[in-house]
Amino acid sequence: MRGALAPLAVAAALFAILPMGLSMAGSGYLFRLADVTLIFCILSLSMQLITGVAGLLTLGHAAFYGIGAYAAAILSTRLGFDAGLTIPAAGLVSALFGVLIALPTMRLVSIYFAVATLGLGEMIYVTLLNWVSFTRGPLGIGDIPPLRPFGFDLSSPLGSYFLLAALAALCLLVVHRIAHSYYGNALRALREDDQCADAMGLPVVRLKIEVFAIATFLAGIAGALWAHTTGYVNPADFRFAESILILAMVVVGGLGSIPGAIVGAALLILLPEALRAIGEVRILAVGLIMFLCILFLPKGLFGEVAALDLVRRQFGAAWRGGSAARPLGWR
Amino acid sequence: MPLLEIDHVTRRFGGLVAVDDVSGAIAEGELVGLIGPNGAGKTTLFNVICGFTPPSSGEVRFAGELITGLKPWRICRRGIGRTFQNLRIFPNMTVFDNVSVGAVGRLGIGPVETLLRTRAARDRARDVSARTWQALERTELAPYAHLLAADLPYGRRKYLEIARALATSPRLLVLDEPAAGLNDTETAELARFIRTLHAEGLTILLVEHDMSLVMGICQRVMVLASGRKIADAPPAVVQQDPIVLEAYLGTEEPA
Ligand SMILES: Nc1ncnc2c1ncn2[C@@H]1O[C@H](COP(=O)(O)OP(=O)(O)OP(=O)(O)O)[C@@H](O)[C@H]1O
Ligand SMILES: [Mg+2]
Repeated sequence: MRGALAPLAVAAALFAILPMGLSMAGSGYLFRLADVTLIFCILSLSMQLITGVAGLLTLGHAAFYGIGAYAAAILSTRLGFDAGLTIPAAGLVSALFGVLIALPTMRLVSIYFAVATLGLGEMIYVTLLNWVSFTRGPLGIGDIPPLRPFGFDLSSPLGSYFLLAALAALCLLVVHRIAHSYYGNALRALREDDQCADAMGLPVVRLKIEVFAIATFLAGIAGALWAHTTGYVNPADFRFAESILILAMVVVGGLGSIPGAIVGAALLILLPEALRAIGEVRILAVGLIMFLCILFLPKGLFGEVAALDLVRRQFGAAWRGGSAARPLGWR
Repeated sequence: MPLLEIDHVTRRFGGLVAVDDVSGAIAEGELVGLIGPNGAGKTTLFNVICGFTPPSSGEVRFAGELITGLKPWRICRRGIGRTFQNLRIFPNMTVFDNVSVGAVGRLGIGPVETLLRTRAARDRARDVSARTWQALERTELAPYAHLLAADLPYGRRKYLEIARALATSPRLLVLDEPAAGLNDTETAELARFIRTLHAEGLTILLVEHDMSLVMGICQRVMVLASGRKIADAPPAVVQQDPIVLEAYLGTEEPA
């Protein structure tokens, strides 16, 4: 019963109640807010797969979001691709980078992996910033055409909203199918104890690379949607602070929980927006919310594991097995 | 041809020789004990067999094929199931999900078929579920299936580890000190259970510190002391072996 009701409720909210409310309010600002929330839902759902389900702490998720955004921006402004092509292409380019980064780093013990994603994320940011001939550097890329996939004009606020809602629903379906399956159980086993999972016959490194590829694909799609709905991309939108924002959504919502990722994204987009006056210190507000949550709500709203527990185990893994068995940091 | 062949295996940690030129074999259908005082190298030998630590020299063959150098998951898929000395269950997953990991490990699974819910994926999911329930029933854990593993009583967690290993459909089950932390009644229950598994045709290598469990149920016992194999004989013979008694008395009384 519950299994059939939940998707119906999501669909009704997403495709009927929300757009109706937004149209009646008739405010472009509210539509924009809904779009940004949907984009961040995709981002937090994809990070939930990496961090909440497979237990890999990633600190560079915004970089893949950025790669997707720039891929869409460059393909549409320079090559004239329309959104029907740029959106999947952005996913593929981002996943390609995801796999290239995962191949060497997934053999690292988890905490080193977290540090590596942080470093690589910043490297991608610095590249976007300094490769002026290709990315126009700090000027960013403007005049990105709005959403007109395959000639359908969805550039109106309502049209864009519907496309974003449909794609977010699709991402939700993907993440749900992966997480709630025996494949998802295998990923959770990696989170719980990856050495032990290895002994149970699971190809640990391959599974981690696969899940990273799927999640970075979704992040790339979110990037393309951002590029087309904003019309302008700038490296500053894909910095470390954005990675932390996405991580905070997952932690506040609860590691491993799909509703958690959605509620976390909505909370952390809408709450700071309500406190707009604080402006520049938004990152502080995000940090504070995450901190309070870890203190008073260890498992977030609906989580399977406590965030602190996950981090502690990641540190533990770095020393487990002894120094003689293998050089520190490598499995 | 023996099922498992350990051929002159040595494992050094720096200057320490944890396993020193050990050879031995286990035939299909045997129930063999591996005992030795603390620090004798039992767990290290165990880890060499399962691919967790590479041997410094020597090799291990399973069903006639060389398995040294293979990753643990490949060795598991060849048919060696294991448990850990210090329990390593997946605490934030249910009992059912814990055990299903073993079945998934054996059968393999891919993300694309999971996403598309192909016929192959659905058939496999049915297979995983059947194997999981079977393992749960063999270990009498079925009533706990939907409990979080962390909420399981300590004694039951041992069975959970065994169930998870059974779900990988092993030809050889290797248990590392399954009786550690259990009281006498629980140990006796475990002994009965291991005997039942053996009677059902499973080949078992039982690594134990506790002599009484091993002597009671094993057909043959290998004794390690300071990394060397000092005896390999039926329990009655080993119990009378002056070298074995010396090794045990020389270090400490067996528990
Ligand atoms: N990773 C390692 N690095 C260095 N030394 C190790 C390592 N693993 C084991 N040793 C050493 O090897 C020796 C054998 O250890 P092992 O754990 O195999 O003994 P055991 O027979 O299983 O003992 P117990 O009954 O306590 O479980 C010990 O002296 C131990 O300190
Ligand atoms: Mg041991």
